[in-house]
Amino acid sequence: MATVQHPSTPSLRPGVQPLRAGQGTSFLWRKLHSLLGIVPIGAFLVEHLLSNFEALKGAAAYGTQVRFLNSLPLVRGLEWAFIFLPILYHGVYGVYIWLRGKSNIVYYPWTGNWMYLAQRYTGLIAIVYIGYHVATQRFLGVSLPENPAYAFAKVHNELTNPLILAFYVIAMIAVCWHFAYGIWLFAAKWGITPGATARVRFGYACLVLGIVLAGIGLTSIYAFVGPGSAAQAAAVQLH
Amino acid sequence: MAPKTVQLEIKRQASPDAPAVWEKFELEWRPGMNVISAMMEIATNPVTADGQATTPITYDSNCLEEICGSCAMRINGKARMACSSLVENLEQPIRIEPLSKFPLVRDLQVDRSVLFENLMRVKAWVPVDGTYDLGSGPRVFPQEQEANYPLSNCISCTCCMEVCPQFNEDTGFVGAATIAQVKLFNNHPTGKVFKEDRLRALAGDGGVQECGFAQNCVEVCPKQIPLTNAISDVSRDVTIQKVKDFLRG
Repeated sequence: MATVQHPSTPSLRPGVQPLRAGQGTSFLWRKLHSLLGIVPIGAFLVEHLLSNFEALKGAAAYGTQVRFLNSLPLVRGLEWAFIFLPILYHGVYGVYIWLRGKSNIVYYPWTGNWMYLAQRYTGLIAIVYIGYHVATQRFLGVSLPENPAYAFAKVHNELTNPLILAFYVIAMIAVCWHFAYGIWLFAAKWGITPGATARVRFGYACLVLGIVLAGIGLTSIYAFVGPGSAAQAAAVQLH
Repeated sequence: MAPKTVQLEIKRQASPDAPAVWEKFELEWRPGMNVISAMMEIATNPVTADGQATTPITYDSNCLEEICGSCAMRINGKARMACSSLVENLEQPIRIEPLSKFPLVRDLQVDRSVLFENLMRVKAWVPVDGTYDLGSGPRVFPQEQEANYPLSNCISCTCCMEVCPQFNEDTGFVGAATIAQVKLFNNHPTGKVFKEDRLRALAGDGGVQECGFAQNCVEVCPKQIPLTNAISDVSRDVTIQKVKDFLRG
């Protein structure tokens, strides 16, 4: 019997393998990763930054905002379904995406290529920061869901350490960068901005959004460490 | 006055498993010289700069006018077509290496058949073969021709794949060229009979979702094909197709 292979028989050759047309589930997982970054994670980020902005009105107003959020129906379920699990998935799958990409910025130092790299590093900073932030502010120390009035003091005490303050500032900028460029990437990759000019215009819109969000976030951080914050925190602690 | 010279450093490898070595060459400068014509000169007198006899350099090339797509290689670190790389525009010594993402055959020649395999897997053709005359095809309006012409300029050089951070053995990403061809053939009034097949194919592992939008492809493309626009459009079409399939399933 002839052993000559049919010409269409796939043969394994070295190097990058051809498309596995229509096979596998990576499309679903990758799109889920992309979508979760906008909703709920991005939506939560905006809510969180706006809520923290209440700190500018003082410890009592901030405590009221924390109490309001913790009074939402099924709040512990919402927290896991719309915050913790999506962020965990987005982070873990994001690292997986990073590990499979091979940056070549040395040879091709172009803007898009820099942004590709920056999206990975800002994401990494975000994962490390969020892990630390959730552990220390949500799960360790005084339980804020039960003592919302103590929220201002808890954040203030944490930020009195200059290293932690620096970490918060860097992470705030990194997270806002990651989100702003993430929106731009989402629009490009889901076919919302298929035109080059549209992408440039939308890029400016995302830049403005990122700067505004980072401005709101950094102002809130200032509210926790600026003049008078120690007295406010001390007043809360007396209760 | 000493004649003006051109210095080249070429990465050579006798076989896929042989060790890579750099050889230096020095040629007399000629007006209008390009990287391919320089290597043709080396072939006529294969002697290195330090006087050692060597073999002519192996490379793919054909048209010498940036239309066949054969002579893509890395010149001073960047992937580009050797025939349109004019020596007078390049920093010397000119360092020439094979493309890094494809299996090496010899010297500067690599096996880029993964692109042709990918084009087959997305059915990048217009199905008109048959046993009887199908008659004239549907009319394509000039406006559609204008939109599709840039996509039809692809010369399969694989530069877009070489420079893509996502095109590697871990992802098995299909690359920008194939995605742009999907847009081209989906836009064609006869070619679009395979539209759904092509979109479903591109949702497979290594499909359009692997794009990280670093946009190197569109920067490097020697034919200025709007590759990122195509990726954006096709990515949307693939997503819509998958949603339709899910809801109709």
